[in-house]
Amino acid sequence: MKSIQTHPFNKKLRIHEAFIEGALFLFALLSIAITVSIVVILLRESLLFFESDEVTISGFLFGTKWQPMIGYFGILPLLNATLMTSLIAMIVALPLGLAVGIYLSEYADEQLKSVVKPVLEVLAGIPSIVYGYFALTFMTPLLRSLFGDDVVQMYNMMSAGIVMGILILPLVATMAEDAIAAVPVELRLASYALGATTLETSIKVVVPAALSGLSATFLLGLSRAIGETMIVALAAGAGPKLTFNFFEGAETITGYIVRISGGDVSYNSVDYTSIFALGLILFLMTFTLNMISREISARYQTEYE
Amino acid sequence: MDFLVFLISLSHFLNTSHLHSRQIISKELIVRRKHMKKTVLMLMIVSALFLPLFAQGKSDAQESDPFSWIEDQMINGLPGVNPIKVTGTIVTAGSSTVFPLSERMAERFTEEGYNGTITVDSIGSGAGFERFTVAGETDISNASRPIKSKEIDQAKKIGRNPIEFKVGTDALAVTVSAENTFVKDVTMEELAMIFGSATYWSDVRSTWPRQQIQRFIPGTDSGTFDYFSEEVFDKDPAPMLNASNVQLSEDDNILVQGIEGSPYAIGYFGYAYYVENKDKLNVLAIEGVEANEENVNAGLYPLARPLFLYSDAAIMREKPQVAAFIAFYLAYVNEEVTRVGYFPADDAALAKSRQGWLDAMEGLY
Repeated sequence: MKSIQTHPFNKKLRIHEAFIEGALFLFALLSIAITVSIVVILLRESLLFFESDEVTISGFLFGTKWQPMIGYFGILPLLNATLMTSLIAMIVALPLGLAVGIYLSEYADEQLKSVVKPVLEVLAGIPSIVYGYFALTFMTPLLRSLFGDDVVQMYNMMSAGIVMGILILPLVATMAEDAIAAVPVELRLASYALGATTLETSIKVVVPAALSGLSATFLLGLSRAIGETMIVALAAGAGPKLTFNFFEGAETITGYIVRISGGDVSYNSVDYTSIFALGLILFLMTFTLNMISREISARYQTEYE
Repeated sequence: MDFLVFLISLSHFLNTSHLHSRQIISKELIVRRKHMKKTVLMLMIVSALFLPLFAQGKSDAQESDPFSWIEDQMINGLPGVNPIKVTGTIVTAGSSTVFPLSERMAERFTEEGYNGTITVDSIGSGAGFERFTVAGETDISNASRPIKSKEIDQAKKIGRNPIEFKVGTDALAVTVSAENTFVKDVTMEELAMIFGSATYWSDVRSTWPRQQIQRFIPGTDSGTFDYFSEEVFDKDPAPMLNASNVQLSEDDNILVQGIEGSPYAIGYFGYAYYVENKDKLNVLAIEGVEANEENVNAGLYPLARPLFLYSDAAIMREKPQVAAFIAFYLAYVNEEVTRVGYFPADDAALAKSRQGWLDAMEGLY
């Protein structure tokens, strides 16, 4: 008797199955191909930028003035504005989002959840340019009335940052809620059994247990804030300036890219390739953040029995 | 049509309903026939989707006269234009200063009956010339400065010879916020300091407050920027770009908003944008001369500059709608220009523009 080496259920060759499998594999390959081609284009044009005579890498990374038309290629003003607006956005979004996440998973009943969650989705669905005009026409006048006209400039980083925080709030809230809900109920029950209140349980037991998911939330929200374009292009200012005063206007990396690419710069000029160099920097920042968040998730993910 | 008839008769043939129940036909044959019937049905549906390909509209052979919009009655030396009979698209782009004027003329052209599409993009004179001379995407280029010889050479490379049409005059408005009480007039040297080297207002005139100057200027793609650096900084853009607290934008509305926001802000743009926001902005007198119609017409205002349209004879002849629009523009621009906020071009320049149109369209109608 021949020993059966092959799989007991012999797969009949179904051509249409193989065809569909092949097609779906191609689509998956397509997404990888697109990512690779984006990186290749960024690298190629950035190389042109760094090869041109006026640009030195140290001048690019450490210079404090960005004005390509007259030969200043220091990225620090743009980078500083990006980081400052993202910082404000995270200060707004992280505590609020965490609080919403804790409330939704620990305290809220089903009915309230069914109301709050769709509203959060709506907030996430508002186009970012609408947020930009919201920052310009509502947030800035509000800040000016609170802090005075002379303190708060017409275009300032604070209002752009706050509105950006509102933009990423739904993202942070839903991810935080998922992370907290993933903590097994046994931990909570054990904590309650020891006499802790809901608040003590949430803050001292559940949140530390969900820390890996929460840090992933934080880093994802941060990378979203760094890449946000329309809000800062409209409300944060149109001139590169290295300043630590939140109420002043300063152009971010994304705002500069929008301004220059909207204006038909001639190809292969230094202005044009500078956009790609900045894009490369942005890509590297968000890529690094994503890698770190995956690393943290993987390393600190505690497996509960 | 015949193909469809064939398919219908084929399906009729395959219709098995005529079989008597008593006739002995093997099940297999019936199933096969039904299968074929299904296939034929599918083929019929799919071919029905291709029917529109066979549809024949009006024959393209008879095209209506492309110059039917020309009317006999002459306006200022140009033939009259009947916008209702103009067909086709017109693409224009360029100066943000000329934009309100071109937009108003396009609006009026459409109101009087033109039902094609006309696009006017406000991207700056330099960017407009780029699209006109390098990419060849636009039919008309709007500009607040004359075309450079470098740009003319580029245009020749793609087969275009730019024709200049002067359509109006702009008095460049240097504006401050209405809340600004201390600046009313400046000299040209003070302008150079305000937009260049000075950091505080008091650096320029000691009576002015010691507050940082916030500058809102057009971007480097803008003809207004080029003009200002030519007049005030002797063609050197570096001082303006090197200045502290400078914000650049091709969109003059952003500049207006920024200037409104602070009594220590200052900027410059086309006069029309000042007229639109008269309640929130103050315009400065330059060298004691105010920006108004008499001073501009008399040539006294130092920052008066011409507004241009550029096109090409080949485009005007190939796309008659472009010629129609330019003729309409030149005929009626003086009626609209003051309402938009600019000043009429002098009569000699307008006559030259009209002659340029006639030369370009010679012998065609």
